[in-house]
Amino acid sequence: MLPTITVDDKKCQDPLNCAKCLLICPTHVLGLGTRVGPRKYKEIDKDQFIVAGVRFEKCSGCMDCVNTCPNKAIQVSFQGRSEK
Amino acid sequence: MCQWCDKYAEGYSRWYFNPANYARKLYKIRKDEGPEIQPNPIAPGGMALEDRDFIEALDRKDHEVISKRRHEIEQLAWQVHFGQVVTLEDTLKVIDFIYPIALMTCACRRSMLGLSDEENFTCMGMGPGMYKWERWPNNYRGGLQFLTSDEAKDAVIRMNKRGLVQTLFTFGTPYLGGICNCDYPDCSAIRTTIDHGVQFLWKGHHVARIDNDLCNGCASCVHRCQFKALSFSASQNKAYIDQFQCFGCGLCATECPQEAISMVERASLPGLANVW
Repeated sequence: MLPTITVDDKKCQDPLNCAKCLLICPTHVLGLGTRVGPRKYKEIDKDQFIVAGVRFEKCSGCMDCVNTCPNKAIQVSFQGRSEK
Repeated sequence: MCQWCDKYAEGYSRWYFNPANYARKLYKIRKDEGPEIQPNPIAPGGMALEDRDFIEALDRKDHEVISKRRHEIEQLAWQVHFGQVVTLEDTLKVIDFIYPIALMTCACRRSMLGLSDEENFTCMGMGPGMYKWERWPNNYRGGLQFLTSDEAKDAVIRMNKRGLVQTLFTFGTPYLGGICNCDYPDCSAIRTTIDHGVQFLWKGHHVARIDNDLCNGCASCVHRCQFKALSFSASQNKAYIDQFQCFGCGLCATECPQEAISMVERASLPGLANVW
């Protein structure tokens, strides 16, 4: 079963320095992206970094990321996607 | 949920804890079973249902033929003879209530390695079928060594230490008649499952989980995995388990000197609960 992983970027302020969720995930699902996309040879403002459930097909649903996030920014749901 | 538990647990926590599933009849009237299957020397052991056509379809990635044949092979195997991986702990629980139990020779290693019977006592048979092996040694080759419950537990623990995976096999589903102690590449069930994607072997009720704080990167677990689920992260200097590939045998966990690997219930993880 596939999850829906949502990260509240307002609560997740400094993912670049925190990275707790990236390191605790047993299957390395979460990844660090930027709002501006990849920018070759240009410094990206650190406010632009966001966490996302990149490889979500490998999410077991252990909820370790949810529990380790100091700002409670991550939600993982296995409810299915029927509510549209 | 495990579909075998769904059908055959009858109130027990798992289908293989239900004693009724070890009580196959000793005798049956043989029905006309149709044309005799011709022996196929290149398809030993559990690979007997896979023919050259199937392997060729895999080779040329003919997905239509592959999925049709795979479905047919699996349906037949699941009625007659297939296995599920179990942890050492669960195996010992099974040994507590079954009788009789005997060491016997492994048909897979006999065909893949040509091991003599003397060096090949790694399979265990259980239940009334064992009396047939004893009574008709010409039909069931290799011989038998009947074991007490304690001897059987010692034997399983010894084989687990050696790095062999404990699996339970049906002989006429749902009757469980064998505790096999398997390893890649010589176990036909692991080979067909991992190499050909034909599910002779079902994943077990547990999944391994590494605690990265405890893992010190010694890598002593890495060689234990028979299912290509455990690798080593060079960038993190820690063991890495692909939980979707993990069969839940627990061999890595019993080897870890840091006790950094624990076996968690598959059912407790929604993403894995239906991954068999």
